[in-house]
Amino acid sequence: MTRPDPLARLNLDDHELVSRRSFFAIGTDDLERLAALRPFAEQHTDAIIDAFYEMLLAHPETRKFFPDETSVRRVKRVQRDYFLGLFGGVCDRAYAENRARVGATHEHIAMAPKWYLGAYRRYLELLHERLYAHFADPAEANLAYQSAQKLVFFDMSIAIDTYISANIDAIRRHQAAIRELSTPVIRVHDRVLLLPLVGTVDSGRAHQIMETVLTRVTDEQAKVIILDIAGVPVVDTKVAQHLLQTTAAVKLVGARTILTGISAQVARTIVQLGVDISAMDTVSRLQDGIELALAHVGKAITAKGA
Amino acid sequence: MSVAKGSIPILRVGPNLLVTVHIDLHDVVAEAFQEDVLTELEKRRAPGLVIDISGLDIVDTYVARILSETGRMARLMGTETVVVGMRPDVAATLIRMGYAMEGVNTALNVDDGIETLAGIAAGKKTA
Amino acid sequence: MLAGDAEILTRCELPIEVEDDVVVVRRKVKLLAQQRGFDAFATAGVTTATSELTRNVWMHARRGTALIEEILDDGRIGLRVELRDSGPGIPDVPRVLAGGYSTARSLGLGLSGSRRLVDELEIETEVGRGTTVRMVKWTKF
Repeated sequence: MTRPDPLARLNLDDHELVSRRSFFAIGTDDLERLAALRPFAEQHTDAIIDAFYEMLLAHPETRKFFPDETSVRRVKRVQRDYFLGLFGGVCDRAYAENRARVGATHEHIAMAPKWYLGAYRRYLELLHERLYAHFADPAEANLAYQSAQKLVFFDMSIAIDTYISANIDAIRRHQAAIRELSTPVIRVHDRVLLLPLVGTVDSGRAHQIMETVLTRVTDEQAKVIILDIAGVPVVDTKVAQHLLQTTAAVKLVGARTILTGISAQVARTIVQLGVDISAMDTVSRLQDGIELALAHVGKAITAKGA
Repeated sequence: MSVAKGSIPILRVGPNLLVTVHIDLHDVVAEAFQEDVLTELEKRRAPGLVIDISGLDIVDTYVARILSETGRMARLMGTETVVVGMRPDVAATLIRMGYAMEGVNTALNVDDGIETLAGIAAGKKTA
Repeated sequence: MLAGDAEILTRCELPIEVEDDVVVVRRKVKLLAQQRGFDAFATAGVTTATSELTRNVWMHARRGTALIEEILDDGRIGLRVELRDSGPGIPDVPRVLAGGYSTARSLGLGLSGSRRLVDELEIETEVGRGTTVRMVKWTKF
């Protein structure tokens, strides 16, 4: 499976990158300062990562994210790369992509933002301690710390964007699942589909029914689709219009619609309302509709031994 | 076998013509398309014309009208037209706009389209 | 002004000067719609409406501008498309919008049809001065 571009999903194009760097006040002087500190970083990275993980392992709720030594070692490796990345001297597209992937990893372990925000805080605390120990001049230490802090905040913004976009994706998937469940299209025979409609059909649902019907008819190249409305409690002018529209759309893609389940009551209502549904094939019983549909694809149901 | 010049090739499939629209139909292209089809029908009679639009992701009223008109013009010359392969979102959009495409038949794909044309031709014989 | 309080996330202005621009403008709208997660049907809707209205500008004014914006309002993201021209203007807007089923070659069908494809549509027009049509399609989520 190819890795999707994490930045595209976040709408993080070059324009946005420039804008974000500017808003976080990340300049070339910051990046150069951090690049110059690379040897310092390499010297301290193991100790910082260890201290960082001590905190995670000490806290009961974060400890459960690291069930065994292997998982701890693996994630420490990722964190080491993350930490050293701060001193790469760049904040470009590749850098942002890398940060977005770290964000994606977090979401896979189902880590809520509060955990990694708390973790970033600890990182900064550890970095602060060591920078001030490293530089003789506190003013220089402060400059270095400010630069690192800017980059860490930039990273947090990307991690949070990733987390949010993953949630949106999950919601979309759920919505699609709900739509599927409420419009169960059944394959009755080769190139014959059946959709039993149950429940009220308002314009929102009608909208979605037309789309599902059209998609299934074309996906399966079904010549006929039977819409059974026996389970629709109210069939008024609006519902009739929706059904007519769906029938017209199905005709455009080259298939045919048969409406079944029309009770005496519904037949009376439709005629009295003056709705002209003569453009649709209609029958009262579902089985008649099925026989009609089969005839349309050149098939018929015959009695055994006949 | 390709029979006509122009951006959209016109093929012969048995006695019928087959056109596959794979590019956006607009302005010069659309009019040339209509021109090419009618010229070909003038040269050699064809009982049917299949227009495959499975490659069109957007069909606005302009394009729908070109297709409709071509169908009506062909009909005057004795040729029945079938438009095949319309995409679900294209169909939904046209219906929602209130556009009813007249002058052409429709079918799911080229095979069904040719079958539809055969049915129409048989119907004409017995009429 | 349609969704006047909305925050503008991105903005893109395209000229309508040659017939090919109809395709250029609608391709941009389609791209943005897909990127924003509109499904195939919603994308086709807003793109086709854009095509209709851009073609109207080309056919009746021969020159105009398309302004395509991604907007954010009350937590929802939308696509706002504005087509502006200094053409002849539309004399009877209500009649034109009443449209309905029609296979006639008219300005009306494109406009009334487009209204049904998007969530909001507004028209500013003055005979002899020009027309501005604005529409918005919101993401479902």
